[in-house]
Amino acid sequence: MSIEPDTLSPAMPRRARWRLSGAQIITGIAASVLLMLAFLAVFADWIAPYDPLRQSLMEALQWPSTAHWLGTDDLGRDVLSRLIYGCRIAAIAAAEATSIAVLLGVPIGLFIGYRGGLWDWIVMRIVEAVVSIPGIMVAIVIIAILGAGLHRAMIALGILFSTSFLRLARGVVLAEREEVYVRSARVVGASDNRILLRHILPNIAPPLIVQVTLTVGAVLLAEAGLSFIGLGVQPPQASWGTMLNTAAAFMDFNWFLSVPPGIAIILTVLSVNLLGDVLRDSIGRGIAVGVRPETPAVRFEAAASPSSEAGLTSSPRPADEILWVESLQVMVSARDGGEIPVITDLSLSIAKGETLGLVGESGSGKTLTGLSILGLLGAGARTTHGSILLNGRDLRTLPRKQIEQVRGNEVAMVFQDPTTSLNPAFTVGSQIVEVLRSKQGLTQKQAWNHAVELIDRVGIPRPEERARAYPHELSGGMAQRIAIARALSCNPSLLIADEPTTALDVTVQQEILDLFRDLQDEFGMAILFVTHDLAVAADICDRIGVMYAGELVEMADVDPLFADPRHPYTRGLLSAMPHASDRNPPLPTIRGNVPRPGTWPLGCRFSNRCDFKSAACDARIPLVGTGRQVRCVRAGEFDMEAVS
Amino acid sequence: MLKLIVQRLLALVPLLFIVSVLTFSFTSLLPSDPVDLIIGDTGTQDQYEMVRERLGLNQPVHLRYLQWLGRAVQGDLGTSFFNSVSVMGAVMQRLPVTLSLTAISALIAIVIGVAAGVAAALRPRSWVDRFATIGATFGQAVPNFWFGLILVATFAVNLRWFPATGFTPLTESPSEWLRSVILPSLALGTSSSAAIARQVRSAMVGVLQQDYIRAARAQGLSARRVIFRHALTNAMVPVVAVLSFQITVLLGGALIVEQVFAINGLGTLAIAAVRQQDIPMLQGLVLVMVGLVVTVQLATDVIYGLLNPKARPS
Amino acid sequence: MTDKPLLKITDLEVTYWGRSLLGLGGKPFHAVKGANLSIRAGETLGLVGESGSGKSSIANTVLGLVPASSGSIRFDDTELTSVKTRYPPAVRSQIQAVFQDPFSSLNPSMTVEDIVTEPLRVHTGMNRAERRARAVELLKLVSLSEEHLGRHPHQFSGGQRQRIAIASALALEPKLIVLDEPVSALDVSTQNQIINLLYERRAEFGIAYLMIAHDLALVHHISDRIAVMYLGHIVEEGPSDRVYKAPAHPYTKALLDAVPLLDPAAQRQRRAARKSAAVLEAPRVSATGCPYRNRCPLVMARCQTEMPPAYTVDGGGMASCFLHATDAGTASEGARFKEHAAP
Repeated sequence: MSIEPDTLSPAMPRRARWRLSGAQIITGIAASVLLMLAFLAVFADWIAPYDPLRQSLMEALQWPSTAHWLGTDDLGRDVLSRLIYGCRIAAIAAAEATSIAVLLGVPIGLFIGYRGGLWDWIVMRIVEAVVSIPGIMVAIVIIAILGAGLHRAMIALGILFSTSFLRLARGVVLAEREEVYVRSARVVGASDNRILLRHILPNIAPPLIVQVTLTVGAVLLAEAGLSFIGLGVQPPQASWGTMLNTAAAFMDFNWFLSVPPGIAIILTVLSVNLLGDVLRDSIGRGIAVGVRPETPAVRFEAAASPSSEAGLTSSPRPADEILWVESLQVMVSARDGGEIPVITDLSLSIAKGETLGLVGESGSGKTLTGLSILGLLGAGARTTHGSILLNGRDLRTLPRKQIEQVRGNEVAMVFQDPTTSLNPAFTVGSQIVEVLRSKQGLTQKQAWNHAVELIDRVGIPRPEERARAYPHELSGGMAQRIAIARALSCNPSLLIADEPTTALDVTVQQEILDLFRDLQDEFGMAILFVTHDLAVAADICDRIGVMYAGELVEMADVDPLFADPRHPYTRGLLSAMPHASDRNPPLPTIRGNVPRPGTWPLGCRFSNRCDFKSAACDARIPLVGTGRQVRCVRAGEFDMEAVS
Repeated sequence: MLKLIVQRLLALVPLLFIVSVLTFSFTSLLPSDPVDLIIGDTGTQDQYEMVRERLGLNQPVHLRYLQWLGRAVQGDLGTSFFNSVSVMGAVMQRLPVTLSLTAISALIAIVIGVAAGVAAALRPRSWVDRFATIGATFGQAVPNFWFGLILVATFAVNLRWFPATGFTPLTESPSEWLRSVILPSLALGTSSSAAIARQVRSAMVGVLQQDYIRAARAQGLSARRVIFRHALTNAMVPVVAVLSFQITVLLGGALIVEQVFAINGLGTLAIAAVRQQDIPMLQGLVLVMVGLVVTVQLATDVIYGLLNPKARPS
Repeated sequence: MTDKPLLKITDLEVTYWGRSLLGLGGKPFHAVKGANLSIRAGETLGLVGESGSGKSSIANTVLGLVPASSGSIRFDDTELTSVKTRYPPAVRSQIQAVFQDPFSSLNPSMTVEDIVTEPLRVHTGMNRAERRARAVELLKLVSLSEEHLGRHPHQFSGGQRQRIAIASALALEPKLIVLDEPVSALDVSTQNQIINLLYERRAEFGIAYLMIAHDLALVHHISDRIAVMYLGHIVEEGPSDRVYKAPAHPYTKALLDAVPLLDPAAQRQRRAARKSAAVLEAPRVSATGCPYRNRCPLVMARCQTEMPPAYTVDGGGMASCFLHATDAGTASEGARFKEHAAP
């Protein structure tokens, strides 16, 4: 059994095309500015029109002229020349202080980060003490000891800034130390030194580089400040800071003096910071830590535009139908600016008191279906076609205010991870109370009592006490019960449950599933139950829709589906379940991998993994059937074993 | 909450100890000999010994440290070597000045920073975001004292809306106090507001991606409520940590900005002390500043604990 | 197979200490209490439990990542718990691991070749060419190819990354591989591919596996023996088929019952038969008595105060439950349990 190598490119955050070149433009400008400054610093002797120390008292405090492009200072020295020589000072200052900071801070940080223990405690207390003194004051004290002057001031700044490198290095080591691959390295038997150098250190380079650019900017500003108060570069040397010192003294006579050095400082620091920003962004993309499914940020814009073809079919819908989704299509923005479909041609309906399961593996689009019903697709995804009728109203056509109204009152959702779907900053009781007060207009007292009742109803013992707990104080099962209580607090007609038991232990899962059934019996809502586990769907659903690569491939009542699966994918999935067979390995598998959005063929998306592929499978295949539906041209042709 | 405060206070003990040791030892490293500076070139050996004894410098280092520490705890920071004024007195006289400046700058920085950061985070990549991001990047590149010079040139010298130099104490005249403190605070607060804006933006963007925000939206809570109550509360958690650092930076920056506006605050005291190698003054200044910073840190720790239940000791 | 076990764990205890004021002192948390296990050469032991059961702690202790508080872990002839700092290379190279999360278990800045040859670099004197050749061999063993050597982990799917991890674990031909939830993060069809792979390699090299998982059915496919843990104790242990088909401990039975069946009709019956008791508190650790007592449907007075010892069970293995006590007083309880356990 061979596996085709599947090369997945890293999942980069999607950016519109123009943004990428915007970053390139900025980098270009910043880099050229810095190159020019470096050039000036090196070749100052040849470029500067005058000797920066040459005084000419008769020409003092002149405004810009043809002889002196930027004017002269109080001693008649040419400002432009001093500015150019100032580049050199700036470069030296930045290099000295930053090098000292890195060479002092990083090794110590790495050491204490890895060793921990007493060393770490002592050094960190010292660092905290130093950091609690305002930086300028530390620099001042060190200069007091060492004396004033460029190099000594840079030593002072180097010592001052080393604390941030120390904390950075230590932080990276502490974080990386917990990573599983460090554990693997220890199991392999690599020595501590080897782990530090070979495994952890390469991951420190990106944040280190960013910190260096930030530090250079900070050093330049600090040097300017120190020279300004006379403790840094000493006159008559020309640093931008000393020039500002002079300028300040003679503001009344010639205010222009303060402009050139100020602009020089701003330009340099700005370029360095911009470069650092771009570096930080690009490094974050480059060292991708894995193809994690991303949760896009919630959009706070108006609801999606109404569908142009929201054709309500002529046949009347059943009276007890709560949800009817027709021909739903969802697209996400691609890196190159286009859009890729992730859900196509999705239609389903749920009646009052019914539970519809949406089953699929990762990448099938099942979670997005639930989110699109609520109108909560993140930035970069939108519904482009189809209608979503909830209690007779098309949610896609509603303006934002009305959608907010519908959410919670008519449709609610329970998410997969209960510990993250509750706000960690508030007690669980207050989160239910909030919903009741803002959506149902109850008073604080009424809402609190009702909340406690709800918490009791979902089976939590000592509900009054529990209501005052914070989410992190509850176990996974308890937190999920609270989430369910909150979702049902306004008595919605539809509950969407997105993998609500996946993150829970199996015994807790059983309890939660029982709870769902129980609540449905009492409240009578429709449930859309999204899961990857067919067995869970078998337990709780009345009907099941199987999704693969963005489309429904089979939809049937639960008993017929398990007794007689018609789609090859459903059959494969059933036979692959752990408790489906009693045999020893080799266990049944479905060869190949799920095709990624954007690489879907026109015909059947499962065909490249299917044992029954024929020529007819390359054409577009509709979902066929009324009560029971299958998307397969060969569905009725072969005899599939019943899975018991 | 009480437990948190006690815990933090206990954690302060090693910090203050180390600060005092560092301060004391550092300033003892000053190259010049204060006795020499006082008696001048013409002093005799006897006079030298006398002055030395008077200043207490003939005793071993650890005893001197303990004496200094003992007095400091009681509020006596010694007397300046040079004009024989009480260090504590000099510092206290100038403290309200620097404090006003720092406090108003912090206020400006927080208000502008949070507003800009939240606005940018809500509409990523919109013109508001670009504007705020560019503004923040720019703001962090501007030297605060230079900005002060420009402000003085424009608003004080040219337009005469505010005084160019000097400081009016709050007790004398609140309106004059405000006028004298606005320009320096703007100069000082701008770069901090930029740093805060970035921090708020990045924290907000991170929080807005969290499940509980999506869950709150799914529950039909209004956008306004979700942003300000749910998101901001959690976003401020990392920001509060940065705030105390920013206030430390502001305190340092105040020392320099005071020079631009000829304000007689702690800055002038510090610079003079360095020039004169005035050890007691330097020691006292460092202690007082650390005291301020540590108080601010305690306050932010408490706020942090209020915002983030996980940080409270159980 | 020889009689002497490859790995023998006796009365193992692992305790973590909580944090407290200023980092000193804190409440102890007993993750593992009095565990006894053994694995023979070439045998697979499945260690099953839910969150908080202590199964990962046992894995970490065997791997030398976490020190044991007391008890003994004997690997071949070496007593692992007496090693103070790190395992000697001779032992280290014989115990390797595959971890759960395929996204974070591989160093993102290393290439596949680096990852797979790292054990060789640490333990052998092979030169670059030799290591590369071995890397190609190893990749073939896990159905990947030579062209993958130069790529980075983020360019692969979850299943492929686990294959890389397995290749790395096989590099030194260890006697024991500890697998900590190796397939939990994967899709169902991919899970089976990995299990099949592990099965084939075991047959080929005679490696013993300590497989930690929460899915009893999955573990049953590949294990020779299964041990079930609850709140730090091993409550049942025995041959894989016996434990799966005739569980001897009420908790094992509860675990098996909790997994929904693939037959909706049977599942409905099961649900109807389930007593809808009120939710019990989250499992609480207590000093005396059986750890399962506040959730056990067959709890007796004795269970509240005494810790049940390990009783031998028909069909092989043990169960730590008074229902299997052989003294007269509880014989009827045993009968009750057998009724309860009947499908």
